[in-house]
Amino acid sequence: MIVHSIFFYIFSIIAIFSAIMVTVSRNTVHSVFFLILDFISISCLFIMIGAEFIGMIMLIVYVGAVAVLFLFVVMMLNVSQQKNEWLSGEKNSNHIPIGLLISALIFFELIIVAGGWKYKPELLGSFNSMGIDLTTTNTHQIGNVLYTDYIHLFQLSGMILLVAMVGAIVLTFRKREGIKRQGYFRQISRERKDGVELIDVKSKKGVKIDV
Amino acid sequence: MINLNYIYSEIFLAIAIMTLLIIGVFKKNSSNLVYNLSIISLLISLALILSFPINESINLFNDSYRIDYLSTFMKIITISSCTFVMLSSNKYIQIISINKIEYPILVLSSMLGMIVMISSNDLILFYIGLELQSLALYVLASFNRDHLPSSESGLKYFVLSALSSGLLLYGCSLIYGFSGSTNFFIIRDSLTQDSYGLTFGIVFILVGLAFKISAVPFHMWAPDVYEGSPTSVTTFFAILPKIAALTVFIRFLYVPFLNLIEQWQIIIIFLSIASMLFGAIAAIGQKKLKRLIAYSSIGHMGYALAGLATGTNAGIQSSISYITIYLFMNLGFFSCMFMLRREDKYFEDIDDLSGLSKNHPLLAFSFLIILFSLAGIPPLAGFFAKFYIFSAVIEQSMYFLAVVGLLSTVIAAFYYLRLIKIIYFDSSKEKYEINHNLGLKLSLLVSSLFILLYFIYPSWLSQIVENINII
Repeated sequence: MIVHSIFFYIFSIIAIFSAIMVTVSRNTVHSVFFLILDFISISCLFIMIGAEFIGMIMLIVYVGAVAVLFLFVVMMLNVSQQKNEWLSGEKNSNHIPIGLLISALIFFELIIVAGGWKYKPELLGSFNSMGIDLTTTNTHQIGNVLYTDYIHLFQLSGMILLVAMVGAIVLTFRKREGIKRQGYFRQISRERKDGVELIDVKSKKGVKIDV
Repeated sequence: MINLNYIYSEIFLAIAIMTLLIIGVFKKNSSNLVYNLSIISLLISLALILSFPINESINLFNDSYRIDYLSTFMKIITISSCTFVMLSSNKYIQIISINKIEYPILVLSSMLGMIVMISSNDLILFYIGLELQSLALYVLASFNRDHLPSSESGLKYFVLSALSSGLLLYGCSLIYGFSGSTNFFIIRDSLTQDSYGLTFGIVFILVGLAFKISAVPFHMWAPDVYEGSPTSVTTFFAILPKIAALTVFIRFLYVPFLNLIEQWQIIIIFLSIASMLFGAIAAIGQKKLKRLIAYSSIGHMGYALAGLATGTNAGIQSSISYITIYLFMNLGFFSCMFMLRREDKYFEDIDDLSGLSKNHPLLAFSFLIILFSLAGIPPLAGFFAKFYIFSAVIEQSMYFLAVVGLLSTVIAAFYYLRLIKIIYFDSSKEKYEINHNLGLKLSLLVSSLFILLYFIYPSWLSQIVENINII
């Protein structure tokens, strides 16, 4: 149990630290890296409380896709050089009160959500009456219904993704003319006689080479 | 163990989509091959549906997927009309050079989504089908991406449709929250009369669905999208999503919420009256054929909704007959439009029709019967469609709806007759090309003959439709 709480505190401290670093870091690329660190430590926290499915989905979706997308955008737009001056700058300091206000609101909303369990104690009991099997992992449980009762929905969602992919390709892919491409087959099948020609050069006459 | 025999056609379509994609990617210049193969796979999936007994009602996947007479009939008419649309627009997509391999594949995916919608007996499944259907349609609308109106129409449809999907999902979540399930049967059993949450949920879902069938006041996108997208896609838009969405309308209103009819009946009546009147009046000033047919389809959806507003089996049956006849009329109209071609250019203005009867008497005659039928003039099929609707509405003593419907029929007749006047009495222009491909001729012939000869034995359709008993 003590190990559990040690890990909990380690991950929580890393999460809070990196969340702060996301906002105060001067380099945008560093911010994105801290964001990734934040996502990873939060997903570790999820795994620790037994919600391993959400934790893994968080890793795959947020770290694997969203954060990498952020990195792409940051690197492509070349905003990494831009100095992050809004904390110390003179003219933009009116961001701080609004930012604090919104943070405080979010904080109180979280308190209300957590307080819901306290003010409605029968809510926790009602989970037990729903017939949730606590001995199996929740990935197992989701898989149990997703691939049996909802298999048709699962497959049709796959069709939707296929259509989305086909649609994106057909609307954006353009075959441009005049691009130099590497043709492996042509390269390999080229023989010596295609590229090399032996010319007998007469002295004092020179030779004319067709280009 | 789920009996997969009943969804062979869906499985086949899904496999066909992926196979055709692979063929198209690995075989160079295979767009024609993929197009023809996709028509063949539509026919095969139609045959797979027809090969099972039509009268059984089967629920699959924990009652979320329902195969019954309604779904089988609707699937048959959707798939066959999709086949005709593909047959008739083959030449068009070659000429405006959008014949890429993705075109038929997206059509098939949209088709798969519609089939799922038609059979869905569950809010999640219905939403997934709807998304599959409309995601493919967004891409199809902007398929001619080098043509500015096409990209614009795709974007417009995408943004507005995403908004309506959001409203629809909100409605779904309300209904789930207040009834405890997404399944239509369980919602029906857990229904309590005095729940405002359910009423709000119904309203939001009706908004989303009304958007999909472009009923007033959620019609704003229709004229622009119809005009901007390639005509082959407009044909698709005008016919297929409406059949699927109407089926969902029927199932959604009549299976779980029939007991709340006082709550939704007035909404459907309003949508119906507004669509009929608006479709009739706004079409008068149009100069483009595609905009005209967009407003005309808004009006026609109003009539189909009028049948739904009755809350009886007869009303549903009249709506289904209406949409069946409507799809033939629209198919014929667009086939005629595909024939207005001269030197690899298609003509889409109303002025281009002037004096068509001098040079092309047969095409002008097809236009004549299709337009007369759209106006609802006996003895053509369009008259019977409106007749079924009005008799179902009057049977329920909803006289106001019937009177408004009749009035807007008269108003709408004006612009249909104006087209006929332009075709027959205005000065003629240059000739159009007369050699068309077989598929286009076939679809025009089938739809014209259907409209023209329907009156000989009108009870065959009502005999088929009579077996649809939802209540």
